[in-house]
Amino acid sequence: MADDDYNDVDMGYQDEPPEPEIEEGAEEVDVDNLNNDDDVAGDPIEAEEKEEQEGVERPRKTSKYMTKYERARILGTRALQISMNAPVMVELEGETDPLEIAMKELRERKIPFTIRRYLPDGSYEDWGVDELIVEDSWKRQVGGD
Amino acid sequence: MFFHIVLERNMQLHPRHFGRNLRENLVSKLMKDVEGTCSGQHGFVVAITGIENIGKGMIRDGTGFVSFPIKYQCVVFRPFKGEILEAVVTMVNKMGFFAEAGPVQIFVSNHLIPDDMEFQIGDMPNYTTSDGSVKIQKDSEVRLKIIGTRVDATEIFCIGTIKDDFLGVINDPTTA
Repeated sequence: MADDDYNDVDMGYQDEPPEPEIEEGAEEVDVDNLNNDDDVAGDPIEAEEKEEQEGVERPRKTSKYMTKYERARILGTRALQISMNAPVMVELEGETDPLEIAMKELRERKIPFTIRRYLPDGSYEDWGVDELIVEDSWKRQVGGD
Repeated sequence: MFFHIVLERNMQLHPRHFGRNLRENLVSKLMKDVEGTCSGQHGFVVAITGIENIGKGMIRDGTGFVSFPIKYQCVVFRPFKGEILEAVVTMVNKMGFFAEAGPVQIFVSNHLIPDDMEFQIGDMPNYTTSDGSVKIQKDSEVRLKIIGTRVDATEIFCIGTIKDDFLGVINDPTTA
Protein backbone atom coordinates (compact mmCIF):
# COMPACT_ATOMS: atom_id res chain seq x y z
CA MET A 1 0.00 0.00 0.00
CA ALA A 2 2.89 2.25 0.53
CA ASP A 3 3.75 2.26 -3.09
CA ASP A 4 1.03 4.60 -4.10
CA ASP A 5 -0.07 6.69 -1.30
CA TYR A 6 0.33 9.75 -3.44
CA ASN A 7 -3.05 9.71 -4.89
CA ASP A 8 -5.31 8.74 -2.20
CA VAL A 9 -4.63 11.93 -0.42
CA ASP A 10 -7.62 13.49 -1.98
CA MET A 11 -9.68 10.38 -1.91
CA GLY A 12 -9.48 9.74 1.74
CA TYR A 13 -13.18 10.04 2.23
CA GLN A 14 -15.14 7.22 3.61
CA ASP A 15 -18.27 7.00 1.67
CA GLU A 16 -21.24 4.90 2.26
CA PRO A 17 -21.70 2.05 -0.06
CA PRO A 18 -24.45 3.18 -2.31
CA GLU A 19 -26.12 -0.12 -2.44
CA PRO A 20 -29.03 -0.67 -0.13
CA GLU A 21 -28.25 -0.50 3.55
CA ILE A 22 -27.65 -3.65 5.45
CA GLU A 23 -29.46 -3.12 8.62
CA GLU A 24 -29.08 -5.50 11.42
CA GLY A 25 -32.43 -6.90 10.41
CA ALA A 26 -30.82 -7.90 7.19
CA GLU A 27 -33.69 -9.52 5.50
CA GLU A 28 -32.44 -10.89 2.27
CA VAL A 29 -34.76 -8.87 0.18
CA ASP A 30 -32.12 -6.98 -1.70
CA VAL A 31 -33.06 -7.68 -5.19
CA ASP A 32 -29.55 -8.11 -6.23
CA ASN A 33 -27.14 -8.22 -3.38
CA LEU A 34 -26.88 -11.93 -3.49
CA ASN A 35 -23.49 -12.91 -2.31
CA ASN A 36 -22.36 -10.19 -0.05
CA ASP A 37 -23.33 -10.09 3.52
CA ASP A 38 -21.07 -7.35 4.75
CA ASP A 39 -19.34 -5.85 1.85
CA VAL A 40 -17.58 -2.66 2.51
CA ALA A 41 -17.23 -0.61 -0.57
CA GLY A 42 -15.28 2.02 1.23
CA ASP A 43 -13.06 3.00 -1.55
CA PRO A 44 -10.31 5.32 -2.13
CA ILE A 45 -10.61 4.23 -5.67
CA GLU A 46 -7.66 4.10 -7.78
CA ALA A 47 -7.72 3.46 -11.40
CA GLU A 48 -5.19 1.73 -13.52
CA GLU A 49 -4.41 1.40 -17.15
CA LYS A 50 -4.30 -1.87 -18.96
CA GLU A 51 -4.70 -5.47 -18.09
CA GLU A 52 -6.15 -6.06 -14.70
CA GLN A 53 -5.26 -8.98 -12.59
CA GLU A 54 -5.89 -9.82 -9.00
CA GLY A 55 -3.66 -8.00 -6.64
CA VAL A 56 -4.69 -10.64 -4.16
CA GLU A 57 -5.37 -14.29 -4.73
CA ARG A 58 -8.16 -14.42 -2.21
CA PRO A 59 -11.64 -14.17 -3.63
CA ARG A 60 -12.70 -10.58 -3.77
CA LYS A 61 -15.29 -9.55 -1.29
CA THR A 62 -16.30 -6.02 -2.13
CA SER A 63 -19.44 -5.19 -4.01
CA LYS A 64 -19.68 -6.04 -7.66
CA TYR A 65 -21.54 -2.81 -8.18
CA MET A 66 -19.71 0.28 -9.17
CA THR A 67 -20.29 2.97 -6.61
CA LYS A 68 -21.46 6.35 -7.76
CA TYR A 69 -18.15 7.74 -6.56
CA GLU A 70 -16.19 5.31 -8.64
CA ARG A 71 -18.41 6.06 -11.58
CA ALA A 72 -17.88 9.79 -11.16
CA ARG A 73 -14.15 9.46 -10.87
CA ILE A 74 -13.85 7.14 -13.81
CA LEU A 75 -15.99 9.29 -16.04
CA GLY A 76 -14.10 12.37 -15.00
CA THR A 77 -10.68 10.84 -15.53
CA ARG A 78 -11.63 9.24 -18.79
CA ALA A 79 -13.25 12.41 -20.09
CA LEU A 80 -10.10 14.29 -19.19
CA GLN A 81 -7.99 11.83 -21.12
CA ILE A 82 -10.31 11.95 -24.10
CA SER A 83 -10.13 15.71 -24.01
CA MET A 84 -6.36 15.32 -24.20
CA ASN A 85 -6.59 13.32 -27.39
CA ALA A 86 -6.55 9.81 -25.98
CA PRO A 87 -7.79 7.31 -28.56
CA VAL A 88 -11.51 6.66 -28.14
CA MET A 89 -12.47 3.04 -27.61
CA VAL A 90 -15.95 3.20 -29.14
CA GLU A 91 -17.50 4.11 -32.44
CA LEU A 92 -18.65 7.68 -32.37
CA GLU A 93 -21.87 8.88 -33.85
CA GLY A 94 -21.20 12.54 -33.89
CA GLU A 95 -20.50 12.97 -30.19
CA THR A 96 -17.96 15.60 -29.43
CA ASP A 97 -18.26 16.21 -25.71
CA PRO A 98 -15.53 14.23 -23.92
CA LEU A 99 -17.81 13.46 -21.00
CA GLU A 100 -20.47 12.20 -23.34
CA ILE A 101 -17.92 9.99 -25.08
CA ALA A 102 -16.70 8.71 -21.72
CA MET A 103 -20.27 7.82 -20.78
CA LYS A 104 -20.71 5.98 -24.02
CA GLU A 105 -17.51 4.06 -23.36
CA LEU A 106 -18.73 3.19 -19.89
CA ARG A 107 -22.06 2.03 -21.24
CA GLU A 108 -20.25 -0.24 -23.66
CA ARG A 109 -17.76 -1.29 -20.95
CA LYS A 110 -14.83 -0.22 -23.04
CA ILE A 111 -13.06 1.96 -20.52
CA PRO A 112 -9.57 0.50 -20.17
CA PHE A 113 -9.25 1.08 -16.44
CA THR A 114 -8.94 -1.04 -13.37
CA ILE A 115 -10.25 0.21 -10.08
CA ARG A 116 -8.14 -0.44 -7.04
CA ARG A 117 -10.38 -0.49 -4.00
CA TYR A 118 -8.48 0.03 -0.82
CA LEU A 119 -9.96 -1.55 2.27
CA PRO A 120 -9.58 -0.13 5.75
CA ASP A 121 -6.81 -2.59 6.60
CA GLY A 122 -4.72 -1.32 3.72
CA SER A 123 -5.23 -4.29 1.45
CA TYR A 124 -6.90 -3.75 -1.86
CA GLU A 125 -8.91 -5.42 -4.55
CA ASP A 126 -8.63 -4.72 -8.24
CA TRP A 127 -11.77 -4.65 -10.28
CA GLY A 128 -11.82 -4.04 -13.98
CA VAL A 129 -14.35 -1.47 -15.02
CA ASP A 130 -15.77 -4.05 -17.39
CA GLU A 131 -16.48 -6.42 -14.51
CA LEU A 132 -18.46 -4.00 -12.41
CA ILE A 133 -22.16 -3.57 -12.73
CA VAL A 134 -23.02 0.01 -13.38
CA GLU A 135 -26.29 0.84 -11.76
CA ASP A 136 -27.99 3.25 -14.07
CA SER A 137 -30.34 4.62 -11.49
CA TRP A 138 -28.52 7.90 -11.32
CA LYS A 139 -30.22 9.55 -14.18
CA ARG A 140 -27.42 11.89 -14.93
CA GLN A 141 -26.30 10.69 -18.26
CA VAL A 142 -25.85 13.60 -20.53
CA GLY A 143 -26.75 11.84 -23.71
CA GLY A 144 -28.88 9.08 -22.29
CA ASP A 145 -32.04 11.08 -21.87
CA MET B 1 34.50 2.16 -17.07
CA PHE B 2 31.41 0.94 -18.85
CA PHE B 3 28.72 -1.10 -17.21
CA HIS B 4 25.66 -2.86 -18.50
CA ILE B 5 23.06 -2.51 -15.80
CA VAL B 6 19.34 -2.58 -15.24
CA LEU B 7 17.74 0.65 -14.14
CA GLU B 8 14.19 1.54 -13.27
CA ARG B 9 12.26 4.69 -13.99
CA ASN B 10 8.73 5.95 -13.78
CA MET B 11 7.60 7.42 -17.04
CA GLN B 12 4.60 9.69 -17.37
CA LEU B 13 2.76 9.21 -20.61
CA HIS B 14 0.42 11.73 -22.16
CA PRO B 15 -3.04 10.39 -23.05
CA ARG B 16 -2.52 11.15 -26.73
CA HIS B 17 0.08 8.36 -26.85
CA PHE B 18 -2.33 5.68 -25.69
CA GLY B 19 -3.61 3.04 -28.02
CA ARG B 20 -1.95 0.16 -29.75
CA ASN B 21 1.43 1.88 -29.92
CA LEU B 22 1.53 2.67 -26.24
CA ARG B 23 4.59 0.58 -25.57
CA GLU B 24 6.55 1.90 -28.53
CA ASN B 25 5.72 5.45 -27.55
CA LEU B 26 6.76 4.75 -24.01
CA VAL B 27 10.09 3.28 -25.06
CA SER B 28 10.93 6.05 -27.46
CA LYS B 29 10.09 8.64 -24.85
CA LEU B 30 12.27 6.77 -22.37
CA MET B 31 15.18 6.83 -24.79
CA LYS B 32 14.72 10.52 -25.46
CA ASP B 33 14.58 11.29 -21.77
CA VAL B 34 17.32 9.06 -20.47
CA GLU B 35 20.03 8.65 -23.07
CA GLY B 36 22.77 11.19 -22.59
CA THR B 37 21.79 12.06 -19.06
CA CYS B 38 24.08 11.68 -16.11
CA SER B 39 23.31 10.52 -12.65
CA GLY B 40 25.90 10.78 -9.94
CA GLN B 41 25.33 7.24 -8.83
CA HIS B 42 25.47 5.42 -12.13
CA GLY B 43 27.29 7.79 -14.41
CA PHE B 44 26.37 8.71 -17.95
CA VAL B 45 23.67 6.71 -19.65
CA VAL B 46 25.14 5.96 -23.02
CA ALA B 47 22.43 3.85 -24.60
CA ILE B 48 19.40 1.79 -23.76
CA THR B 49 19.88 -1.74 -24.96
CA GLY B 50 16.64 -3.36 -23.96
CA ILE B 51 13.47 -3.23 -21.93
CA GLU B 52 13.15 -5.71 -19.09
CA ASN B 53 9.54 -5.04 -18.31
CA ILE B 54 6.89 -2.39 -18.25
CA GLY B 55 4.78 -2.44 -15.11
CA LYS B 56 1.14 -1.63 -14.73
CA GLY B 57 0.26 1.96 -15.34
CA MET B 58 -1.14 4.18 -12.68
CA ILE B 59 -3.41 7.07 -13.51
CA ARG B 60 -2.31 10.34 -12.03
CA ASP B 61 -5.22 12.24 -10.66
CA GLY B 62 -6.05 15.57 -12.11
CA THR B 63 -3.77 15.31 -15.10
CA GLY B 64 -5.02 12.21 -16.89
CA PHE B 65 -1.41 11.15 -17.37
CA VAL B 66 -0.46 7.58 -16.68
CA SER B 67 2.83 6.65 -15.07
CA PHE B 68 4.46 3.35 -15.90
CA PRO B 69 7.35 1.84 -13.99
CA ILE B 70 9.85 0.64 -16.59
CA LYS B 71 12.85 -1.56 -16.04
CA TYR B 72 15.42 -1.19 -18.77
CA GLN B 73 18.92 -2.36 -19.52
CA CYS B 74 21.41 0.28 -20.44
CA VAL B 75 25.09 0.92 -20.93
CA VAL B 76 26.46 3.47 -18.51
CA PHE B 77 29.83 5.13 -18.40
CA ARG B 78 31.25 5.97 -15.00
CA PRO B 79 34.80 7.27 -14.50
CA PHE B 80 36.65 6.06 -11.43
CA LYS B 81 39.65 7.26 -9.51
CA GLY B 82 42.77 5.54 -10.77
CA GLU B 83 41.24 4.64 -14.11
CA ILE B 84 43.32 5.15 -17.25
CA LEU B 85 41.46 6.85 -20.06
CA GLU B 86 42.23 8.16 -23.50
CA ALA B 87 40.91 11.63 -24.08
CA VAL B 88 40.97 14.44 -26.60
CA VAL B 89 42.36 17.80 -25.52
CA THR B 90 39.81 20.57 -25.91
CA MET B 91 41.45 23.59 -24.33
CA VAL B 92 44.96 24.51 -23.24
CA ASN B 93 45.85 27.38 -20.93
CA LYS B 94 48.54 28.22 -18.45
CA MET B 95 46.75 26.45 -15.61
CA GLY B 96 46.74 23.16 -17.46
CA PHE B 97 44.48 21.63 -20.07
CA PHE B 98 41.00 20.26 -20.42
CA ALA B 99 40.30 17.00 -22.18
CA GLU B 100 37.13 15.10 -23.01
CA ALA B 101 36.60 11.36 -22.93
CA GLY B 102 33.16 11.02 -24.39
CA PRO B 103 30.79 12.93 -22.16
CA VAL B 104 33.16 13.46 -19.27
CA GLN B 105 35.37 16.51 -18.89
CA ILE B 106 38.81 16.04 -17.38
CA PHE B 107 41.12 18.77 -16.19
CA VAL B 108 44.86 18.20 -16.03
CA SER B 109 46.59 20.84 -13.98
CA ASN B 110 50.09 21.95 -14.92
CA HIS B 111 51.32 20.45 -11.67
CA LEU B 112 50.27 17.10 -13.06
CA ILE B 113 52.04 17.56 -16.36
CA PRO B 114 55.64 16.32 -16.48
CA ASP B 115 58.07 18.99 -15.29
CA ASP B 116 59.97 19.07 -18.54
CA MET B 117 56.90 20.28 -20.43
CA GLU B 118 56.55 24.04 -20.64
CA PHE B 119 53.53 26.13 -21.48
CA GLN B 120 53.90 27.99 -24.77
CA ILE B 121 51.51 30.86 -25.28
CA GLY B 122 50.50 31.88 -28.75
CA ASP B 123 47.98 31.27 -31.47
CA MET B 124 47.80 27.63 -30.51
CA PRO B 125 48.69 27.44 -26.82
CA ASN B 126 50.41 24.20 -26.00
CA TYR B 127 52.67 22.30 -23.65
CA THR B 128 55.95 21.29 -25.21
CA THR B 129 59.04 19.48 -24.00
CA SER B 130 62.28 21.40 -24.15
CA ASP B 131 63.46 19.50 -27.20
CA GLY B 132 60.11 20.02 -28.91
CA SER B 133 59.51 16.32 -29.52
CA VAL B 134 56.26 16.11 -27.61
CA LYS B 135 53.54 18.68 -27.87
CA ILE B 136 50.13 18.85 -26.24
CA GLN B 137 47.70 21.20 -27.91
CA LYS B 138 44.05 21.32 -28.85
CA ASP B 139 42.88 18.08 -30.50
CA SER B 140 45.85 16.07 -29.26
CA GLU B 141 44.97 12.66 -27.93
CA VAL B 142 46.38 11.92 -24.54
CA ARG B 143 46.33 8.94 -22.25
CA LEU B 144 45.76 10.05 -18.68
CA LYS B 145 44.98 8.73 -15.27
CA ILE B 146 42.05 9.99 -13.24
CA ILE B 147 43.10 11.00 -9.76
CA GLY B 148 39.94 12.64 -8.60
CA THR B 149 36.28 12.83 -9.46
CA ARG B 150 33.63 15.27 -8.42
CA VAL B 151 30.24 13.69 -8.65
CA ASP B 152 27.20 15.93 -8.63
CA ALA B 153 23.65 14.81 -9.01
CA THR B 154 23.71 15.58 -12.71
CA GLU B 155 27.36 15.98 -13.61
CA ILE B 156 30.68 14.22 -13.25
CA PHE B 157 33.92 16.13 -13.46
CA CYS B 158 37.39 14.63 -13.22
CA ILE B 159 40.92 15.67 -12.44
CA GLY B 160 43.57 13.76 -14.33
CA THR B 161 47.32 13.44 -14.47
CA ILE B 162 49.83 12.60 -17.18
CA LYS B 163 52.77 12.61 -14.78
CA ASP B 164 53.21 8.88 -14.67
CA ASP B 165 54.74 6.09 -16.68
CA PHE B 166 53.14 5.40 -20.05
CA LEU B 167 50.91 8.47 -19.87
CA GLY B 168 50.94 11.39 -22.22
CA VAL B 169 50.38 12.11 -25.87
CA ILE B 170 49.40 9.13 -27.94
CA ASN B 171 48.52 10.87 -31.18
CA ASP B 172 49.46 14.33 -32.29
CA PRO B 173 47.17 16.08 -34.79
CA THR B 174 50.12 17.89 -36.36
CA THR B 175 52.02 14.75 -37.18
CA ALA B 176 49.04 12.65 -38.15
